[in-house]
Amino acid sequence: MNEKSFEAKLARVSAPAPDPAARLRAKRAALEEFARVHAARQAAEKTSEAASKGLWDALRLFRDDSSHGSTSMAWFVRRNLFAGVASACVVGLGIAMVWPFFSDYGDTRLFENPRPPVVVDLKPQAGESPPAPALPKTVEPAPEKFVPSEAGQKPPAAAAITPALEKDRELAAIIVSDQRAKMQASMEIKRDAVSVTDAITAEDIGQLPEQNIAEALQRVPGVEVARAPQAPTPAASGEVEEVIVTGARASRAQQSPHKGVAPPAGNGYSGRVRAATVPVSPPPTATVAGTMLYESSVPVADEGRDKFQKFEVNPVKQVADEPVSTFSADVDTASYSFVRRQLNSGRLPQKDAVRVEEMVNYFDYAWPAANSAKSPFKPTVVVSDSPWGKGRKLVHIGIKGYEISRDDAPGANLVLLLDVSGSMDSPDKLPLAVQSMELLLSSLKPTDTVGIVVYAGAAGTVLEPTPVKDKQKIIEALRELRPGGSTAGAEGIERAYQLAEAHFRKGGVNRILLATDGDFNVGIAGTDELKGFVERKRAKGIFLSVLGFGQGNYRDELAQALAQNGNGVAAYIDTLGEAQKVLVQEAGASLFTIAKDVKLQVEFNPTTVAEYRLVGYETRALKREDFNNDAVDAGDVGSGHTVTAIYEITPVSSATRMVDPSRYGKNEKPQVERGTASEYGFLKIRYKLPDSDTSQLIEQPIPIDSRDVPQNVLRDVQFSTAVAGFGQLLRGGTLTGPLNYDDIIKQAQSAKGDDPFGYRTEFVQLVRKAKVAREM
Amino acid sequence: MDESLIRRAQGGDAASFAELLDLHYDTIYRFAWKWCGHAANAEDIAQQACLKLAASIGQYRFQAAFTSWLYRLVVSCAQDWQRSQQRHEHDELSEEEPMEYSSRPEDGIYLSQVLAQLANLGEGMKETALLVHAEGMSHAEAGAILGVSESTISWRVHTIRKHMAQPAARASLAYE
Repeated sequence: MNEKSFEAKLARVSAPAPDPAARLRAKRAALEEFARVHAARQAAEKTSEAASKGLWDALRLFRDDSSHGSTSMAWFVRRNLFAGVASACVVGLGIAMVWPFFSDYGDTRLFENPRPPVVVDLKPQAGESPPAPALPKTVEPAPEKFVPSEAGQKPPAAAAITPALEKDRELAAIIVSDQRAKMQASMEIKRDAVSVTDAITAEDIGQLPEQNIAEALQRVPGVEVARAPQAPTPAASGEVEEVIVTGARASRAQQSPHKGVAPPAGNGYSGRVRAATVPVSPPPTATVAGTMLYESSVPVADEGRDKFQKFEVNPVKQVADEPVSTFSADVDTASYSFVRRQLNSGRLPQKDAVRVEEMVNYFDYAWPAANSAKSPFKPTVVVSDSPWGKGRKLVHIGIKGYEISRDDAPGANLVLLLDVSGSMDSPDKLPLAVQSMELLLSSLKPTDTVGIVVYAGAAGTVLEPTPVKDKQKIIEALRELRPGGSTAGAEGIERAYQLAEAHFRKGGVNRILLATDGDFNVGIAGTDELKGFVERKRAKGIFLSVLGFGQGNYRDELAQALAQNGNGVAAYIDTLGEAQKVLVQEAGASLFTIAKDVKLQVEFNPTTVAEYRLVGYETRALKREDFNNDAVDAGDVGSGHTVTAIYEITPVSSATRMVDPSRYGKNEKPQVERGTASEYGFLKIRYKLPDSDTSQLIEQPIPIDSRDVPQNVLRDVQFSTAVAGFGQLLRGGTLTGPLNYDDIIKQAQSAKGDDPFGYRTEFVQLVRKAKVAREM
Repeated sequence: MDESLIRRAQGGDAASFAELLDLHYDTIYRFAWKWCGHAANAEDIAQQACLKLAASIGQYRFQAAFTSWLYRLVVSCAQDWQRSQQRHEHDELSEEEPMEYSSRPEDGIYLSQVLAQLANLGEGMKETALLVHAEGMSHAEAGAILGVSESTISWRVHTIRKHMAQPAARASLAYE
């Protein structure tokens, strides 16, 4: 796309027609202003006219008299003039004495009424406007100064604009309430609401400019609507297709757009979107009038129009100035999920939502794993040419946590026991639970099995234990779940244990994951009985973890007790981020953390590296001195997690430096140890073993040439480079030179490898979507 | 064309002034909308511009075309509005307004993104782009409105073009 199309596009952008109400409002305000200004000007003119007249009269005294022929008269006049001069002096003195009173009076008047009221009486003036009050004919002009603010001056102007507004008079009943009233009404609704409620109310004439309720809903923070890009009929094009509630799963809005009735709860996944249409009295024309209520107890999560931690992209740093770079390991992948969600709905994500390191770390790379749990990391350092800048290099630092179980595999046999009672019908309950389970799936091995049992309402086995490689089947089963029905007790928990027992894995992880909002009506009455049941099953090797959702009747105590008896964790999941943490980082990576407070530090060699820049990790930066301070917290790494960091460096030999060398800086050669000329830098990693409070150190030089790099590692270097490039492009791509989406697709395609779960294929699709979203 | 109308309005004839408003409100509003991409804000700007017009119609001296003079007035109102927005950026009241997309959703997004970029590019860039590209004015006309020379406008247009040609600038736009 070239700049021509930017201009063409700008030229083609057409503003919508103005709202007639706004137009009328502006016109009326302007006419008032006009009347005011004009009245003020007229008055000012009159004043100067009056003043000049006074002078004129004084002059006339002479002229008139001189035109008179009679000498006696002339004498009289001359005498009169004398007397006049004398009396003028006396009067002048008098004025000087009386002046303070006048001026005082005048000032007050001016302050009291700095400008006339702008209310315009639309009634036609009954009679002629009262004439301006007769001004005292005195020589001194001072009192006349107050005339403009006399109320008597106003009516003529008002009368003058009346005809101009005459044709608008049939609309004179409009109550312009504006923003303030609108927000007050919203506030009132929110204040009285029982649940977390957001409210929007129409301003002005009780009409929201949207065509239907679904569109109006997007005015509520945390609610977005997606439109149908193309529809069979032109009329339907651009209409709202989905209502997306932040924190809840996207759902079809089975809406009837023009009926003014809100979509019902979609397919059960969406937040309960309740739209109440309260007609506002005067305008019968309103298509969507009144109040919309969006009811949910979801805390507004960090998605949608919400705020992300703002951060600046790591700048290019000069080794001479700052040779050491320190940051914390980050195994979060939330950013990637968010970006994916945005792109899947056809939008580019907001820049601050894109954290490049989280996107890179979303994928599993083939970095060689460490050999023992005692020293759980083995850093892999690969230097390659940078695709983003000629003459620059990329340094990949990959660490793979020791995999406790991957090979001799305690495979997992998980049974999800889900509460589907009516009380789970809230976006932060069943829908969140379902999403959490989907998250969990992504952290399981393909051979692990997952079964699903529900209780309350529709009780019974929903899905026989199914290997995770049939991920789609499991996800579909989960998505079919509907809350509701009675809370009739069912033998839910027994069914779950039966299922787990039937597929028991010797030496593996056999675990029930109970997801509930506190309704433990699982089929066994009595708390103690339940505990005993769980304990007995634990002895057989089947554990229980409890995941709590929602608020209201959550029974944390019982959940804790059950989980302890079941050798599991009790976790409370309020957001997807928490689900991510609990199910992916803690339970997901085979339920074991292998190292905590993992910090990385790289010192660059000033004789070989001129500049460097860390790609991503902006929010994870640590101070140099934090590295050796064990009290400073950093990221944890679970079993088998990979952490990847990428530096882009400019070797000293390269001619393409980003930063010019300092003219006045110290030019002496840096003193470095001998024998380090073949190193770009030195990598240190600090970590604590899960049960330790003191950190351990791993060190490794970064060689100039990477030799004997296995083919699959090189491939993954290429893939992670593609992901990092994509992240940077989404963030604006200021440091990636001519890189574009097509390059990324090419790079990623050729480095997909086996891709057993299809993540990498999905990534390529995402890049394509980003390209389309940008071109739209 | 409407010289006599303007003269009557300057003379204080409210009906003439009302007619003048009727004639030009659309222009004012549309420019304001292009400026901010948002109907309610555009209405605010347009109303301010109308007020300003009422106050200062007497100052129009018939030296430039009336529309040029009007544009200058609207641009300054829009700039005032922008400043007040930045001042109140952290106010609760100004945050709650979501972006409005008008009939073509991409217009609003595209505009706000391009214009935000141009505004960051330097003083007067946004104004120049809007006047030259969106309003289709010649460089001389735009210069007259913004009170700078024609060559300054040409330079700005060139800078903008150069900026928009950068992949970095384009990549950050959602809709192009």
